This record gives sequence, C-alpha cells and structure tokens, in this order.
Amino acid sequence: MKKELTFKNFSIYFDHYLFISITLLSIMGLLFLYSASQGDLNSVIKQSIFVVFGLCLMLILSQPDPDLYKLYSGLFLILSIALMLVTMIFGKEINGAKRWLNFGFFTLQTSEIIKIALPVFLASYLYNKPLPISTKHTFITLALICFVFYLVYSQPDLGTGLVVFMAGVYILFLAGLSWKFIFTSFGLAVLSMPFLWNNFLEPFQRQRILTFIDPSNDPFGSSWNITQSKIAIGSGGISGKGYQEGSQANLNFLPEAETDFIFAVIAEEFGFIGICILLALFFFILLRCLYLAFNARDRFCRLAIGGLSLILASTLFINLGMVVGIIPVVGMPMPFISKGGSSLLSFYIAFGIIISMATHKKLMQK
Amino acid sequence: MTDLNERYIEKKSFFSRLLVVYAFFGFAFSYFLFQTFSLQVSEYSEYETAAIKNKTKEVLVQPVRGIIYDRSGKIIVNNVPTYDLIIRPSKIKSIESFLSEISLIINLNSDELGYIKENFDSKARYNRELVVKKNLSEEEISRFEVRSYKFPNTFIDVRYSRYNYYPELFSHAIGYVGGVSNDELTSILGSQKLPQKETIFKYSNGFLIGKTGLESTYDHILRGKFGKKIYEVDAKGRLLYERQFIKPTNGENIFTTLDIDAQKVAYDQMDNRRGAVVAVEVDTGSIVSYVSTPSFSTNAISNGISSRAFNTLIQDNNKPFFDRAAQGRYSPASTIKPAIGLFGLENKIIDWDFSIDDPGYFILPEDQRVYRGWRKGGHGNVNLNKAMIVSSNTFFFSLAYQSDIYKLINYLSNFGFGTNVCADCFNPDKGLLPSPEWKMNNLNFGWFTGDTVNLGVGQGYLSTTPLQLAYYSALLANKGKSKPLSFVFDKNDSKNFYIQSENISDLDWEKLHQSMIGVIESPLGTAKRLQELKTYTVAAKSGTVELVSTETKEDYKIVRENEGNRDHAIIIAFGPMPNPKYAVSVVIENGESGGSVAGPVAIAVLNSLVDK
Repeated sequence: MKKELTFKNFSIYFDHYLFISITLLSIMGLLFLYSASQGDLNSVIKQSIFVVFGLCLMLILSQPDPDLYKLYSGLFLILSIALMLVTMIFGKEINGAKRWLNFGFFTLQTSEIIKIALPVFLASYLYNKPLPISTKHTFITLALICFVFYLVYSQPDLGTGLVVFMAGVYILFLAGLSWKFIFTSFGLAVLSMPFLWNNFLEPFQRQRILTFIDPSNDPFGSSWNITQSKIAIGSGGISGKGYQEGSQANLNFLPEAETDFIFAVIAEEFGFIGICILLALFFFILLRCLYLAFNARDRFCRLAIGGLSLILASTLFINLGMVVGIIPVVGMPMPFISKGGSSLLSFYIAFGIIISMATHKKLMQK
Repeated sequence: MTDLNERYIEKKSFFSRLLVVYAFFGFAFSYFLFQTFSLQVSEYSEYETAAIKNKTKEVLVQPVRGIIYDRSGKIIVNNVPTYDLIIRPSKIKSIESFLSEISLIINLNSDELGYIKENFDSKARYNRELVVKKNLSEEEISRFEVRSYKFPNTFIDVRYSRYNYYPELFSHAIGYVGGVSNDELTSILGSQKLPQKETIFKYSNGFLIGKTGLESTYDHILRGKFGKKIYEVDAKGRLLYERQFIKPTNGENIFTTLDIDAQKVAYDQMDNRRGAVVAVEVDTGSIVSYVSTPSFSTNAISNGISSRAFNTLIQDNNKPFFDRAAQGRYSPASTIKPAIGLFGLENKIIDWDFSIDDPGYFILPEDQRVYRGWRKGGHGNVNLNKAMIVSSNTFFFSLAYQSDIYKLINYLSNFGFGTNVCADCFNPDKGLLPSPEWKMNNLNFGWFTGDTVNLGVGQGYLSTTPLQLAYYSALLANKGKSKPLSFVFDKNDSKNFYIQSENISDLDWEKLHQSMIGVIESPLGTAKRLQELKTYTVAAKSGTVELVSTETKEDYKIVRENEGNRDHAIIIAFGPMPNPKYAVSVVIENGESGGSVAGPVAIAVLNSLVDK
C-alpha cells in the first residue's frame, strides 16, 4: 500500500506498512530500553528524542525523487568519507576506539552514516553498467568497498566494518557480478585466510574467534558474556519473567544489556512468545522490502532498496548470532531497538530512502 | 528491443540474486529462532536454575553445640558468649603491621600473639575469620569502637566459647573440641548435602568438631545442623537483601550418667598421681565417674591454644593427655583371682571345701620352676575363700596349672578382658587376653604351662584397662550379669549379658561376694585397712602389679629406688553389700599397694556415691 497522500497542493510519499511496523519496533525498543537500563528515564528520554527525530527524518527523506539521491550520492559518499577522516583526527576516544564525533548534544558514530552512503553510491555507479559487470568496474567497486571498509575497520570497529563491506558487496552482487568472479574470489579468500588472520586481525579479535571455537580458551572473559546471555535467554522460557523482572539484566549479570545484548533482555522478560513477535516484525519489514525491490521503478532503486534492506538483515544477523552464541562476539546493536542514536538514525535514513524509492513513480510511467 | 530484453534479463538476474540472499537470511534467522527455542523451551529448566544460581548467594550459619549435663542435671559443658575482636585474614595484607597497630589499643600477650601468627595464613587461605582477642572488656570494646575506622576488616562480635565448668575433672571423659580439617568439614557438610562455603560463625574458633571423649563420640548429636542465609546478589556479588533464613538446628543436649561429686572426689583422691578411677552403676552399666590423672584443662584447648602451651602439655613426662582409664594397659594382678576361682568352680576343678597347703610358693612339676607368693612362708592351709581373702598365689597357681588354657581364656573373655566393654567411650583399648596363637604370632614362642600358671594370678601377658576392670567389677557385683558400660544411659538399648554357667549357683556367687567382703572385713584381708573408711560393707579385691620380678623383699627395696619400677597399685570394689549399687576400679601407677594405696580412693568414691 505505497501511495502518495495527495493534498491540495502537494503529495506526501509514504508507506503505511513500513512506517507502522518501524514505529511499532521503535516504541517497543523504548520500552525494552527502559527495562534494560533498569528504569533509567534519562536514557529513555534521550532515545525517544532520537526516535521522534528519526521518524521525522525518515518521512522527510521519503519525499525527494530517487533521481536526486542518484545525483547526489557521490557527494554524500565524499562527505561521509570526510566525516570519517575528521573522526580519525578529532574523534572522541572511548575504550581505545575512535569512532565518535562530538556535536555537543549528540555524538555521532560516523561509520553508521557511511554504511548508508556507500551502497547508495554504488547503486548509482552500477545501475547503468551492462551485464555482467566488467572486470574493470568490478575492481573499481571493490577498491572503493575495501577503502571504506579499511576506514571503519581501523577505528577499530570490525563489526560495522563487516556490515559496510557486506553492504557494498550486496550491491555488486545484485548488480550482476559475474559468477566466474564470485567463485574465483571466494577461492582466493579461503586461501588468503591465514594471511588475513595473521596480519589484519587484532590480537583481541583473534582471541574472540578462538574463544568462540573453544569456550574454555577465554582469557578476556568473552565467553562469560555469552554464557550470561544464554542464561538470560534460556531462563525466559516460553512466556518470560515479566517486564522489568529479568534478574540477569536487572542485577547486571548481562553485559551490554542496553546495546548489544538487548535481545537477551527481551528474551528473558518476554520469553519465546515475545521473541516471536519481535522477529515477526523484522521479517515483515524485510519481506516488505523484498516486495518493494521487486516492484521498484528502475534498476537504481532496485539495487538501493535491495542493498539497504540487506544491511538491516545483516545487522540483525550479526546481533542475533552473537547473542545466541552462534557467531563470535562483535559489537553490533539491534536495529531500532538498541540504545545508541547513530545506529538508530542510520536505519531511519535508510528506510527514508527506501520509501522514497518505492513510492516515486517514473515521470513517464505516470 | 535489445534494451528491453536486457532490462528483462537484468531484472530476472536481480530477482534471483536477491532471493538467494534473502533465502540465506531466512534460513539463518530460522536457525536463530530455533536456537532461541531450544534455549527457552528445551533447556529452559537448566537455564532457569542457572539464572537463580547467579543471583543467589548462600551463606551457612553455624549451629551451637549441645550442652552436656551430669546425671543430676548440672551443666558440665556449655557455650559461653563473649565479645571477641575478629579479623578476616584473607583481607588483611600484613599481619605484622596490623598487630603493631592493634596492640596500641588492645593488649595481646605472647600466647595470643603466637596463636594469631600461627593461624593467620591458614585462615586466610580458607577465607575463615580469626579471633584476635577473646572476651574483651568493656573498656577494650570502647577503645576499639572509637578507632574502628582505622581497622577495616576488623570487628567485634559475640562468639561462643566451648566452656567446661570443671575443665580438669572431665578432660578425658568429655574431652575437648577443636578445629576441623578440610576433609572432616566436607564430610560434615556433605551429610547435610551442603558444599563448603562462606559461613556465619557462632564460635570464636570457627568450625568445631569433637576431638576426644564424649565430644567426639557424640559429635554427630552435639553438632547440630547448619542453617542457611540466602541472599540475592548482583553481578558484583553485593548482597541486595536476605531472601530466606533457614535457621540452624542447634545440637542436642546430652544427659550423661556422670556424677560431678563422685568425679570431684575421685580426682581429688588421685591427687595428681598417675592412674585412673572408673566407677559404674552395677545395674545399668552407667559410668558415673571416669578420671585419668594427671589431667589438663580442656577449655584452653577447645578455644584455641598456642602451640607453645600445647607442646608443654604434650611433652609432660606424666602424659596428661593419655587417657589411662580407657587406654592404659595394666596387668590385673590379683584382681583376676575371683574370675579364676569362678572358673575352677565352673569346671569342677575345685569346690568351696577344696583346700591346699600354701608354703608360699608353687613348684611347676614340669621344670621344677618356683612361682612365689607375696608372703614368705605362705598362708598355711587355704581353701578358695581364704585364698581370696589373703590373696594366696599358690592356690591360684595350682588351680591355673590344672586348667585347660583355651577354656580359661574363653572364660576370661566373658568378663570383658580382651574386648571392648564400653558403648560410647572414646578409643577404648581392648587390652590383651593372650592365647597360645597370640604368643606364637607375636613373640615366636610356644605357650608354656608356666604361662597358664602366671595367668592364674593375673601376671604375665594378660593386660586390661581400668575401664575393663570396672566392667569386670560390676559383672562380679551383679553375679555374672551385665550391660555394656556407657556414659549416656539408653533404656531402649541395653541388652543384659549373662555369663553362661552350668555349675555356678547363686550360692556360689554369694560365697564369692563373702570372700571379697573378707578382703576388707577379715583380719587377714589384704585391704583390712579400709574397714574404718566407711559405714557399710564393701566387697573388693586388691592387686599389686609387679613391674620387675624380684625374689625377695630386699631385692624389691633396691628396685623401688627407681619410682618407675615400683609396683602398680590396683583394686576393684563394689558395694554397699549385700546389694551392691556401684562398682569401682582404681589403678595407681607405681602406687605399690593395692589395698592401702588404691583402696582408699575406691572407698572414697563409693562413699560419695552411696551417701546420696
């Protein structure tokens, strides 16, 4: 039910399904956050300001014609890269990581912006390239992806870096990357694993993977996090312990309860039923995106909707996989739910663009 | 057209590729959902338990031990609360600097300092508390309280001491308590299905276990059951609130058959001589007095003693720790004679009329070896009655000589020799009832007839404890009927034991009693000096345990120059006759005369019991 709400003089581009489900998720997120932060009203108020602002931003970003995004995507990407570089120099350092730019009222995690800018730009770069994508364009694209990945990775932020990398690769793949190239590079990737292991992973990242493979090998205690997370989830049972009744979260056994591990809080307090409802909302949003991608007006919009929706899927994938102990611990917030303004805003921006692309008809089709 | 075709191909390729990626995520999310399902539904109870365990902290609460009473309901051992200064050694970095600061406000003597230094490390290792000073005065308490901010991990609290009101009287009977080894603690807590964990202590000394005496044999009853305090804690281990308090079950009190007055008399009469006194109630086998001297104060040991003070006790030549009553082995000497006489009657080797001529010695026909009596020249013509009164060795040598050794050993075992006669004594020794097999196995010698002859007067290999002698005495008093000795009379569990006899009548028992009465009352009696010490009739048999065999009195005079070579004095007695209520045994090491040295002690104890 995508449509333009037409008023006397102008139209509002709007998608009921996405808007309602995202609003619902955001409100649920605020409720969960209130419990996960043990009733810290301040952080909930701050987060709800982001939610309201983000929803407005989403609505605003739905209005411009997709051609405008196509036109300015390059500029958007350059600005994002510039922001990243500024972060490298003037960024706020927390726990040895320089990821944030301080704007006084709000610290921006700049990698969250480039996460959106890169796929939109790549879509605009690849939408008019003939199939299959030529080796030259493939390499140019890959070079850009790797450059951006490296920027994020060097902050260091492996988690977001991976999402950025994947976002770029999705666009390349959806745009028609040749299968020959896919298989060759996959083979090379497997062969180069030991090299990457030795040269690109920080010792603590290597350790996280080792700990994941063998939980008894755990000098930094990251498997403790997973153990506590599993206890929180498991002890929730079918119907949960009740809102604000989760002992794992309330007594601080659960690490990062407001951010990375908020899923465990929800699972503990609302049980399997709560999780099913939550995941159903996410599935609905993703399937809606699939539908919108199939019905997009042109190749640029298809690529962009597909790529942006897969960012949501990937983020959720990493977050859930980490919380239930299936993939190693990398910091990754749960979209629309976890505390943190930057991540929240980046998804509102992404969905603003998606809605814009889904609701605007080609002028000639009108 | 080509453009349209290409667009169609592109669209198709896009759709299929997007579907592939979506399918991957669909698969992944389904798997995550399944994983969540198995955590929340299949393994729910396991994780529910884990979550509860996470936020729960259990602390054990020590029970208070039971009180020990005497037979008239007077308290012997109690728990006495004091205000103690306590530290947590695991949280104190340097004991030296702590002691130098605390000793500015609280005076610690060298014993206390020694005790603290010796125990600091182990208490720190096991995360237990250490009592620095017991029984603080009000002044000390207030001096500490105003400066307490200087001493983190140091506090004053009420703690119990295990206090014996008669610490030296009952040191062997009741024993003392002490610290628990880790293994013992594991098994004590294991009996309640509890693991070792932080504990709220009631005693200054922390975990306690009975080490000796009744504290040990009845430890399981006195100990009680640990309680639990269950707290809710957060991830940092901070106690949030007390969720549940399962009170400890304090130990049960024990009502012993011990008699404080008789015990006092026995202890005073012994006057720190080495020896033991055991008195029992004839009908029930109840132990009313149980003394081993010299003694020591259990209070110091129960509540923490420095190793220096402990070593002084350990190294004392008089061995105050040694429980002579249950573990001292002594030859019964002439006190065995009533049993040998009964054996002669039972086997019809003799009767009351049978008599022999006692020249003062017995010559073993086989090898012409001479076995002497205690009196040069002998006692003339003696029958069993006179042989008992005058303690004729010749009569019993001759009787034993005619006895079958196996029958004799078997008969003597009826009287408790070589067996455990006590139901609840701490580590009682069985003594030794020798046999030809025992001699062959242990001494590599065959059994000589001479060994049997010696057995007839209670010399040689046979050895008994004062406890066994008391049982034997009670058995004689009760005409061959007895109950196992015990400190805590249990009406439900007291099977009577009878000596199986075919040829001994009640009349024989009465005659035996008469002869034992004669030991005191007859002008010829070996213990006639005891006549004046009492107002009622007592039956007795005295004995003198030769440690060094001598031919003549002159030889003995040389032997007795060394006190340790002097004969042991020994007596068994029961009364008041004709219906004896109490039986007693007394051994005084190197006391020389059973009748005149051990005898007065026995009579004094009987007096204190009979007078009641």
